[in-house]
Amino acid sequence: MQKINKNVVLALLSLTSLVFLLFQLYYYKFYLSQKNGAVFSKVRGSQSGQDSTRWHVVRKFLGLISSHNIPVYLIDPLILGLVDKDIEQIRSSPDGPSPECKYFCAPRDFTTFALLDKTWKHEVGLFRTAEKMGFQWLKILNKDPRLDGMDDLSGIEIPLHYIFKLASHAIHLVVFYERSGNYLWHGPLRLKQHMDRKFVPFRKLHFGRYPGAYEKPELLLVSIDDLKVQIPKSPSSFLEEMSHSRFLECRYREARAFFQLYPDDASLDAVEFRKKAKSLLHLAALTLNNLGVKFWLSSGTCLGWYRQCNVIPHSKDVDLGVFIKDYKADIIPAFQKAGLPLKHKFGKVEDSLELSFQGEDDVKLDIFFFYEEDDHIWNGGTQAKSGKKFKYLFPKFTLCWTEFVELKVHVPCETRQYVEANYGPDWKVPVKTWDWKSSPSNVQYNGIWPVNEWDDVIQIY
Amino acid sequence: MDEWKPNPAIKPHKKRSWYLAWKYKLMNQRALRKLCQTGAVLFLLVTVIVNIKLILDTRRAAYEEEEESAQDYDDEMLNVEVPRHPVSNKKVLDVEVYSSRSKVYVAVDGTTVLEDEAREQGRGIHVIVLNQATGHVMAKRVFDTYSPHEDEAMVLFLNMVARGRILIFTIKDEGSFHLKDTAKNVLKSLGSQVAPFLSWRDMWAFVGKKGGEVYGEKHAKSPALSTWGDPVLLKTEVHLTSVEDAECRWPDTELNHRRKRFCSKVEGYGSVCSCKDPTPIEFNPDPLKDNKVFDVPVAVIAGNRPNYLYRMLRSLLSAQGVNPQMITVFIDGYYEEPMDVVELFGLSGIQHTPISIKNARVSQHYKASLTATFNLFPDAKFAVVLEEDLDISVDFFSFLSQSIHLLEEDESLYCVSAWNDQGYEHTAEDPSLLYRVETMPGLGWVLRKSLYKDELEPKWPTPEKLWDWDMWMRMPEQRKGRECIIPDVSRSYHFGIVGLNMNGYFHEAYFKKHKFNTVPNVQLKNVESLRKDAYEAEIHRLLGEAEVLDHSKNACEDSFVPDTEGRVYVMFIRMEQEADFTTWTQLAKCLHIWDLDVRGNHKGLWRLFRKKNHFLVVGVPASPYSSKKPSSVTPIYIEPPAKEEGAVAVPAVAAAEQT
Repeated sequence: MQKINKNVVLALLSLTSLVFLLFQLYYYKFYLSQKNGAVFSKVRGSQSGQDSTRWHVVRKFLGLISSHNIPVYLIDPLILGLVDKDIEQIRSSPDGPSPECKYFCAPRDFTTFALLDKTWKHEVGLFRTAEKMGFQWLKILNKDPRLDGMDDLSGIEIPLHYIFKLASHAIHLVVFYERSGNYLWHGPLRLKQHMDRKFVPFRKLHFGRYPGAYEKPELLLVSIDDLKVQIPKSPSSFLEEMSHSRFLECRYREARAFFQLYPDDASLDAVEFRKKAKSLLHLAALTLNNLGVKFWLSSGTCLGWYRQCNVIPHSKDVDLGVFIKDYKADIIPAFQKAGLPLKHKFGKVEDSLELSFQGEDDVKLDIFFFYEEDDHIWNGGTQAKSGKKFKYLFPKFTLCWTEFVELKVHVPCETRQYVEANYGPDWKVPVKTWDWKSSPSNVQYNGIWPVNEWDDVIQIY
Repeated sequence: MDEWKPNPAIKPHKKRSWYLAWKYKLMNQRALRKLCQTGAVLFLLVTVIVNIKLILDTRRAAYEEEEESAQDYDDEMLNVEVPRHPVSNKKVLDVEVYSSRSKVYVAVDGTTVLEDEAREQGRGIHVIVLNQATGHVMAKRVFDTYSPHEDEAMVLFLNMVARGRILIFTIKDEGSFHLKDTAKNVLKSLGSQVAPFLSWRDMWAFVGKKGGEVYGEKHAKSPALSTWGDPVLLKTEVHLTSVEDAECRWPDTELNHRRKRFCSKVEGYGSVCSCKDPTPIEFNPDPLKDNKVFDVPVAVIAGNRPNYLYRMLRSLLSAQGVNPQMITVFIDGYYEEPMDVVELFGLSGIQHTPISIKNARVSQHYKASLTATFNLFPDAKFAVVLEEDLDISVDFFSFLSQSIHLLEEDESLYCVSAWNDQGYEHTAEDPSLLYRVETMPGLGWVLRKSLYKDELEPKWPTPEKLWDWDMWMRMPEQRKGRECIIPDVSRSYHFGIVGLNMNGYFHEAYFKKHKFNTVPNVQLKNVESLRKDAYEAEIHRLLGEAEVLDHSKNACEDSFVPDTEGRVYVMFIRMEQEADFTTWTQLAKCLHIWDLDVRGNHKGLWRLFRKKNHFLVVGVPASPYSSKKPSSVTPIYIEPPAKEEGAVAVPAVAAAEQT
């Protein structure tokens, strides 16, 4: 009996576990499909050819917004990518009927549009109509960054994103705001506690992971897939811009804390210097942007932005960084033309290049050229009287946009590492005496220029 | 090893015996059976592994999801929203009202909603209006009915309060001296039995519903003229009604939603909350053709004078060419009611944490407001700056639209202002006429962004300097000789009586008789002649045309100017150097125009109207226009009165006035 029992028990156990296993596998699959529902439906969509649901949702949405006179434009990277391939054809036949649904039926979870905040009146009516049409919508509010720098104003919350959902497709409407520095800004998408996290797969949104900064686009009204939409005139350059549009807000709170510790210099000299530095920076930005040379705030100017959101009054110059691969021979004549004569030129394109221009009243503009290595980036310095070379090492960084003295400029995204490399862990403490040869914590002695090259690599005007 | 033995491990024993038995049996089985069993065991093992993997997977997935949303899309800020007080379902409110000589207080459900024990303040009848459904305080007023006319204001206020609201009255110190019968009758009609007999230094507390029941009344008679009545404390209960009953049945529109929200919170705004015939809150004035100021942001600087703000915004939103989207109201302090007013009109408002005190507080508020305005509207080249105690003329924007290009093109200009300091009923005439003046009038003006950003903002007076922003802006270091364009007839009207530097007497004397344009679409005359050089030519033309008045007559008397209309007259006064305004000040005094400091001058020349004639005053010899003086004419000199000290002291106070 015992023998049989044991076998039966064993068999029973195996059976139960088999059933259990099957159940679990089923559940696991169910779980997966729920989580990546979109992936599955995407597959299905492409299998059954054109999926017109998306097209219908977009058409309804366009109807909705045009009935409220709200000008939106298409910024969906997937569709703009497709559009860009046929851009000539689309431009030349703005009204032509399209034989097939080529763009708006393409598989994706969202269609993304942009809205310029100042072009609409925040009417509540829009949402009522949307609801009547069957849309579910979600509004994402956050603090107004334009008032962020002013601690004593209760910044109102402004809408940053809207999501309109209908059936299986959603429209992501990104609200762009104009900011000081003549650029457009969109905010990050952050869900508040009470919000529905499953409203749409937020992670797949193309906009909202970070805030972004863009130039004001030129728009073009086109007809694609029988729908009239505005698109950026040049989709490819928009997409290019989008790929590095990440924006960093200045750290206003930390800046305020800094000024609590070290009250700002409000003397007339400081006011004057800031004014000059600002106009010099504006002029430099204009000149370099016209040449298409990418630059960023470096050294003291970068520290000023990062630490106190302003020009450091005792810094006495404006420092910019440029990758050596972006160097152009036109830079010097362009600055001269802009009224900034070359003050000195150290190094050469192959090594340790540094340009200095003379701004108004002793305010100097320094442009340091940065050389990329495998694991670090460096720029060079030269002591004029001895011909000594110095090397300043930085960890690798990428560039982000920010706003500084009413200007949209680049700063290293990894600003803290950049500043710390340059000024050491005590960068938060203002230092008035600074020796560029010994004070930086990332300086390395880099030999001496051969004397026969001096005429070339040490030019002082 | 020995240590193991004492352990009374029973299980291992059992296990061991089971294992032995199994082992023994196994040896007896056939290979197949063995295989089957091993298979089953293996299968069990696999199940266990799959199970563990599944658990791990699900946990990781769940964790990832959590983290992902936490990292990317979660608002990293804590939700600072203060949980709202749950609307109490209580139907009864306990109300406590105290009235005495030196202190009054009102407590609703144990919460003090009014407490005033300040010395020499808050005399008179305090009135509190409660919402009959929620018990929230909707209005708080004090009417000093010891002084004249205050009872009229109280009647006006009580009439505005909607039926059904709960009214609480309490007297501090004295409230009957100028309480006339009309007011007493109104109080009686509210159900008060004592009101008609209220007399000198009586104490009184009353709670009732407008147009309904009386919840309680207490009264203490003053025994003698020199003493006050005993303090009274009234404790009573008020029954709340349902929210529906407390609201009007307006049509369900977006506008009425705003109205409803407003009317359930505050009282004392008249017909805006009337159930039957509410006054509109959207005005849709005619748009302006070719409006050059449509995209110019409008900053309304406000404090805690919500009734003023209400009046101001009404007139602003009724002005032709207004663009509500460009309007931002900046409120100095976290006051609720002004914000309610802003929201009623669907405008955006920003509250400002007060910094510093008095004049410096206003000054810091101005700075923050201007900076915020240019941040919010980075494209703007200008900003219109308004204050909450101004009426705005119907052609305010039309006036600016016609003149703003001058500010853009003429660098010798400091501002365009809607206010003429010297434009009184009897001294202003021509709404199409503009002047250039060396003073900065404020009270509705346009600021150039470059002026603010490059010059004013960086050196704006810091909070510890207790300066007036407008006085500071008028200082030569800031103004740098630049001028403002003003109209002859003002496009704004200063109605504020209560203010930092303001009182009723002052307003009566200097502001009440100010001329205010009410004509729409005024076409401004000869705007181009306001440019720097053109204006000089214009002045010379005017002076050439002007008839010289008889300088032997008394300039203060009406007969000094002939009884004509539409003529141009000139008079010459003594003005030894640029800053010598002795005669001008005396002339201004007798003409009953602004005499507290010098306003409205242009190179020693003042332009105004007398008896509908253009009247020019030239200061000789300081003014460059002195050359126009015929050699036979002796400039008029008016001696200041002997009491020089008093005369000097006033401007110091009053100069700060226009903030």
